[in-house]
Amino acid sequence: MSAISDVSERTTISSALPLARFKVLDLTRARAGPTCVRQLADWGADVIKIEAPADLAVEYGDSRHGSDFQNLHRNKRSMTLNLKKAEGVALLKRMVTSADVLVENFRPGVKHRLGIDYEALSAVNPRLVYGSVSGFGQTGPYAERPGFDQIAQGMGGLMSITGLPGQGPVRIGIPVADLTSGIYLSIGILAALMERERSGNGQWVHTSLLQAQISMLDFQAARWTMTREVAPQAGNNHPTSIPTGVFKTADGHINIAAAGDHIYKRFCNALDAPELLTDTRFATSAARQENRDALNDVIDGYTVKRTSQQWVASMNEAGVPCGPIYSIDQTFADEQVTHLKMTAEIEHATLGRQRLVRQPVNLSRTPASVRRATPDCGEHTTEVLEEIGLSQGEIESMQKKAVI
Amino acid sequence: MSERALTGITVLDLTRVRAGPTCVRQLADWGAEVVKVELPPTVGEVGLGGPRHGPDFQNLHRNKRSMTLNLKSESGLRLFKRLVAEADVVVENYRPDVKNRLGIDYESLAAINPRIVYGSISGFGQDGPYLPRPGVDQIAQGMGGLMSITGLPGGGPVRAGIPIADLTAGMFCAFGILAALLEREVSGQGQWVHTSLLEAQIFMLDFQGSRWTLKGEVAPQAGNNHPTIIPTGVFKSRDGYINLAPSGDMMFRRMSEALSAPELLADVRFSTPDQRSKNRDSLNSVIESYTIAKPSAEWVATMNRAGVPCGPIYAINEVFDDEQVKHLGMARTVVHSTLGEIRLVDQAVMMSRTPSDISVASPECGEHTDEILAEFGLSEGEVSSLRAVGAI
Repeated sequence: MSAISDVSERTTISSALPLARFKVLDLTRARAGPTCVRQLADWGADVIKIEAPADLAVEYGDSRHGSDFQNLHRNKRSMTLNLKKAEGVALLKRMVTSADVLVENFRPGVKHRLGIDYEALSAVNPRLVYGSVSGFGQTGPYAERPGFDQIAQGMGGLMSITGLPGQGPVRIGIPVADLTSGIYLSIGILAALMERERSGNGQWVHTSLLQAQISMLDFQAARWTMTREVAPQAGNNHPTSIPTGVFKTADGHINIAAAGDHIYKRFCNALDAPELLTDTRFATSAARQENRDALNDVIDGYTVKRTSQQWVASMNEAGVPCGPIYSIDQTFADEQVTHLKMTAEIEHATLGRQRLVRQPVNLSRTPASVRRATPDCGEHTTEVLEEIGLSQGEIESMQKKAVI
Repeated sequence: MSERALTGITVLDLTRVRAGPTCVRQLADWGAEVVKVELPPTVGEVGLGGPRHGPDFQNLHRNKRSMTLNLKSESGLRLFKRLVAEADVVVENYRPDVKNRLGIDYESLAAINPRIVYGSISGFGQDGPYLPRPGVDQIAQGMGGLMSITGLPGGGPVRAGIPIADLTAGMFCAFGILAALLEREVSGQGQWVHTSLLEAQIFMLDFQGSRWTLKGEVAPQAGNNHPTIIPTGVFKSRDGYINLAPSGDMMFRRMSEALSAPELLADVRFSTPDQRSKNRDSLNSVIESYTIAKPSAEWVATMNRAGVPCGPIYAINEVFDDEQVKHLGMARTVVHSTLGEIRLVDQAVMMSRTPSDISVASPECGEHTDEILAEFGLSEGEVSSLRAVGAI
């Protein structure tokens, strides 16, 4: 395929995407920042990943061709640029003049040291929306601490409410502070772009792992801020809806969520345990709260008699939320997940066919897509610089000076 | 009210429980004009979402007004369509077939207002084999694989202590609605935006999901250890626990120095990331033999000074007592007409020019019905006759 038809194909496909008119400069590394940028890229923004020339690059976690990096950096182009050289910063500023969004997740002080903070770049382009993710916020006593998902899970209180009472703190198996700070930032950036439609001005949008994690506590946090209840670890039980939790079956475990009198009645009938309706220990919602452990034991006595699959079928038929507890391969093999097509395939130049995880939101007219595999470092440097009008000579001289 | 990022966007909020309201809260906190449309208490399901004056409801439904409207009555439905004609966004999280039964699905409403952006959240998607199933957060945590990778190996499945499928489904729906609104600026057309607890939970697996789709690796439970970055995990201190998260050789060196454990650097079992992965358990016990000697606060200070990510593991009250959390202003006070001053949890995102705000507490059911209907141009006579027939 020639370069020209390649570009025109990209333009055609992208124009059907909701964020196709926005150009994003991506200075992010690790996970939180790239998660934000992936939201923009999957919905069609023209994302240019700006990376330190390979010899300066620090590898974070997974290797470039590993599954993590490939899933995180799809739908973007890559160019190299050395921001520690004055010429590099000058070139970034030149690129900022025609960009809509810039996203970074350096430690807060770094952008000021490099001279690429919001003030410096909005002077070049007042319409720029500038997104930042940090560990603990842009200012304050911990601003310059190194931040990391696990640290935020602990400081954000999540580890104190996950797992069984008394077993010590438990982290959850996904980097939830990284991911949600990235998603929150992407929402903030879109809100700022909406506002720019009216005002014509950009602004600085920022969040942190710590803020995202606290916000994700949701009602567990409001229990404290409003009514001074400190949520304890609740194991597999839902902290306030009863009975909701994990129950043993003949061949494993299932989740059942039978909160509320209505569903509780259906549940007892589906369990074939009418005595649970009349037993005074369990007859009211308040009684079930008080006698939760006893109730769970009685339920386990019933659920253990049949297989998970049998219970999932009969409970759902009765209108009681119930589901299997899958390992990740089972998740992707499930018939509903298959129906929803949660994976997207893309061809990578050297890795071949790649199955990535697609966006979880569907738009009826302009859906998201995976259009491009994760680029190799600097794969599109020349292409991107030509688009902003640099000559062959300029590009070559920048290469010689290790600016790009 | 001062100018906010989403000032001028009108949202009709049909959502209940958690996932839908979480989506709407994103729009409300950024300044959209949100009208919570509720069934009149005489016909409504009571208690969905917990007590109205409880912390959960109050934190979830701030920054909106409430009106009552009975969608099951013919005049109620007509009235709703009249509101839709002037609105920008509708959000609902009924089971998928309910909106069709009520005649308020996307197609029906787009016929009245083609610019409408219609957001839906369901348990398992808008169609497919599990369509009739009731979906809630715990079910999605199990089916989305999260419970199989949280907790200690062999300890059985473990749920996360927050309703993560609900919350993220709401956030993704809010993101999709904003993307659709931005697209509408160009095309003039709305569209249907929908997600589900199951899709959100699967997306949130992130690298744990792509390990399977790309490499065929099934992530196991990894307890408190980060599954791939070693040594990242929980370590005992003299008075509790700390998180330590040194990633890469440079941080490993800094950590070893800060522990005053130079032998960690010389030990061949721990000299490369591969070696540390293979000998993780012995590495963790060596580290813990050092961390146990001093209190958590001391380690948090020492490690951060050395540039190694390290933090305390807080209970929720301790979170809000932390000096950085106070600095960030994560708890915001708002005055409720009968509850008085209440403290709610703030948005996680800050904007330099048009920040979010929590300006009003959660409304009482139907508190603003008359005010809202007057704004949509209904006369007092119309309002009282709608009330007489039980439509509002």
